Amino acid sequence: MSISVKLDRVLLDRGMSLTELSERVGVTIANLSILKTGKAKAIRFSTLEAICKELDCQPGDILFFDEDGRPSAD
Amino acid sequence: MRAIGKGSLSSILAVGLHVTRVILWIMLGLVTLALIIMPFAPAIADLFSHSDDINIDGVIDAEDFIKVFYAFVTTAVMLFVVNRLLEILKALRFGSPFVRENADRFRGIGYALLMGEGAKFAFGFLSLIFDADVELNMTFLSWLAIITVFVLAEVFREGARMKEEQDLTV
Repeated sequence: MSISVKLDRVLLDRGMSLTELSERVGVTIANLSILKTGKAKAIRFSTLEAICKELDCQPGDILFFDEDGRPSAD
Repeated sequence: MRAIGKGSLSSILAVGLHVTRVILWIMLGLVTLALIIMPFAPAIADLFSHSDDINIDGVIDAEDFIKVFYAFVTTAVMLFVVNRLLEILKALRFGSPFVRENADRFRGIGYALLMGEGAKFAFGFLSLIFDADVELNMTFLSWLAIITVFVLAEVFREGARMKEEQDLTV
């Protein structure tokens, strides 16, 4: 997919674990792992809002558009 | 009536299809046996014809061959369809029905039915060549059913895609 997720980098900067973020935003670790590993096909605005609020960042800090990236299957 | 679980329509259908599968296997076995034995039928009839009590007509003509071979193809197609339907029901009872495998199974059923109808044409043509009297029952409804199955396959494919997208939405 041309959109890449850099959640792990932001988590590292904030010194927060995935488990802690999961508890704070109310999203399961399984779902956050899907997002972190770039397997997610879509992200809800509510999830993005909660993540940005807890990590004190902008959506652009988490999501990147890579033009040379592999295009999505669908 | 519940769709999934004990006493549901899918469970009842599964029982019915299991029974049908057993019957179809027996039928297929018998028809296969008949196909194997048929070329030797005159010799077998000759073997028994020495007895005064038994009078066997050992003449096997093209019509008999066409009828038995048609029965073989029809039974094989039915068995294939029943097996795929059982797999679909299994997916429905023990998991999610909207998976790509079910779309492929429906498409397989469509192709099998199409092959069955195609076989009718082939056997009809053979009947004409050998001047055989074989009843083939070609109906418009069969073709409508085949189209329905293909449409259903596409619906399942789209359903599987939507389910996958839903599962991977965070």
